[in-house]
Amino acid sequence: MNKIEAKNVNVFYGEKQALFDINMDIQEKQVTALIGPSGCGKSTFLRCLNRMNDVIDICKVEGEIKINDYNINQKGTDVVRLREKIGMVFQKPNPFPKTLYENISYGPEIHGMAQSKDELDQIVEDSLKKAALWNEVKDRLNEPGTGLSGGQQQRLCIARAISVKPEVILMDEPCSALDPIATAQIEELIDELKKEHTIVIVTHSMSQAARVSQQTGFFHLGKLIEVGSTDKIFKNPDQLQTQDYITGRFG
Amino acid sequence: MINREEFLNKRYKSEKRFQFYGKSAIVLALLFLAVFLFKIFSTGYTAFQKTWITIPINYDPEFMYLDADQKPSIQDLEDSEYFDVGIESFAALDQNANEDQITDIKRMFAFIFEEEIKYHILSNPDDFGKIVEVKLTASDDLDQVFKGNYPRELPEERRRVTDYQLKIFDKLNAEGKVESNFNFSFFTNADSREAELAGIASSFMGSLFSILVCLAVSFPVALLAAIYLEEFAPKNRLTDFIEVNINNLAAVPSIVFGLLGLGVLLAVFGLPRSTPLVGGITLSLMTLPTIIIAARASLKAVPPSIREAALAMGASRMQTTLHHTVPLSLPGTLSGTIIGLAQALGETAPLILIGMVAFVNTIPGSPMDPAASLPVQIYIWAESAERGFVEKVSACIMVLLIFLVLMNLAAQMIRHKFEKKWN
Repeated sequence: MNKIEAKNVNVFYGEKQALFDINMDIQEKQVTALIGPSGCGKSTFLRCLNRMNDVIDICKVEGEIKINDYNINQKGTDVVRLREKIGMVFQKPNPFPKTLYENISYGPEIHGMAQSKDELDQIVEDSLKKAALWNEVKDRLNEPGTGLSGGQQQRLCIARAISVKPEVILMDEPCSALDPIATAQIEELIDELKKEHTIVIVTHSMSQAARVSQQTGFFHLGKLIEVGSTDKIFKNPDQLQTQDYITGRFG
Repeated sequence: MINREEFLNKRYKSEKRFQFYGKSAIVLALLFLAVFLFKIFSTGYTAFQKTWITIPINYDPEFMYLDADQKPSIQDLEDSEYFDVGIESFAALDQNANEDQITDIKRMFAFIFEEEIKYHILSNPDDFGKIVEVKLTASDDLDQVFKGNYPRELPEERRRVTDYQLKIFDKLNAEGKVESNFNFSFFTNADSREAELAGIASSFMGSLFSILVCLAVSFPVALLAAIYLEEFAPKNRLTDFIEVNINNLAAVPSIVFGLLGLGVLLAVFGLPRSTPLVGGITLSLMTLPTIIIAARASLKAVPPSIREAALAMGASRMQTTLHHTVPLSLPGTLSGTIIGLAQALGETAPLILIGMVAFVNTIPGSPMDPAASLPVQIYIWAESAERGFVEKVSACIMVLLIFLVLMNLAAQMIRHKFEKKWN
């Protein structure tokens, strides 16, 4: 089933066009990987899905992006509600300079999801458990989130993202700042999270895309060259360009 | 071919030379500071001492116009005159003194001798009719003589202290009747034309009130302006123009702000002249750009990733700003505020224009009362001819410096506390 449908998406940074007529469907409760060389527009596309490009003054997005059949680019879309439904994890771990507890409780608090302190405690615990971080931090929830290791910080950010029970989680190269062990933990986590969430992940590592995703889209120079099941893209792509990139002939 | 050994040695040598230049610069700067502080302290420390002369005072009922046979009530003593008590007691210091010489003796004491004599009898009513020793404030000239700051070697006609006065003074001094104590009145008195009575209470309170008004006006306005410009305003020609103008405002000579205060606050709004309220608002015009620039810089220093994190959690822009960006930028903003206030504290020119240079001999109880301020007080005293004001100037500078140091310490402490919280 299609969770997200993008139709004729064009993105401009001032005069420069960054994305050209992107058409892409993203399946519910699956992991979709976006791959491609640096500067190909895959992160830009990802940021279209929760309208994070709004932050950039000169950025202009055209076209239709439907999530649950609702076009998020139409006038009057409440980005606060949208981002509650569509969480995001960034390339560099960016916990708030607050306690571990406050990092997780922030989202539920601003969206009024917990009626009582107990309920909030429960959300924090559940989120940390789902992010496989609970056992490591349960005794020091009042310590600053910035004191954790890089991998722990990234899992904290994932816990923060899932604390508001989003339907979709966007991940922008979540492992690029992490060592292989931390990367393996995050990949395992992604596998677990897809049971409840639709995940879109941008990655530079083709092996990671092959390991975690069911669908893969290949971007090049702002165009979506090919999209399909990960198996097909990696074993038998339709396009020569995809073949060349997968086999490491460029990129 | 280059001798590489020699080349390496050259590099080490030039590095050593560079470090030497740096160290010399620091030593030079410290030297200037040390000379400055030494000069201030060595001239100023005597102002914290005050000279007293103890002489026998004759509480003869006749001089007080009271009935000798009847013990007077406190009210009688209160209403009585003490000028003659003083004059007769002064005359008693030298049996052979003629009228001019008695006047000379009278001038050896502060003009408040009547009150001091009265104060003594009011607290010791039993001394009525007796001759008792009373401590009187010495005149500022004799104060300076006692402290050794007075050029006694000058010929008499060029001195304000006569040879006769010095003779009497030396005699009293030899008898151990002259002493100096801590000068409390320097801190509790307002300004006075007489150096021995002049204090900084009025100007200190004036400065304090001005700074508080300045803080209350400039901090919220500057913070809101900085937040709006940095976090919300679109980046276009208009905001660029505003930014350039704020930076220009920071470079405007302070006297121009004084004229603005004079023309707008006093002339248009009719606020009371010479008050810390007007002074504080005028100073806040000066501190505004400083705080705005500091606040914007520290807002800019908050990593964008924190903003993105909050926005991606579904926080609105206002929530992102108030929950994350502003708290993180506060330490920088606060230290900028303190720097701005410290500048304002030392500012003289705009206050002169709005009338805070007036001679104020009352202590202000609120920002609406006329007051001087510490730097203006320094200016007023530095202009005075009497030798007694020279040390007062340095003492006032010391108080101002201590005030500044305390403010900076407070800023450091606030900063430290916040940084602990956020790290």
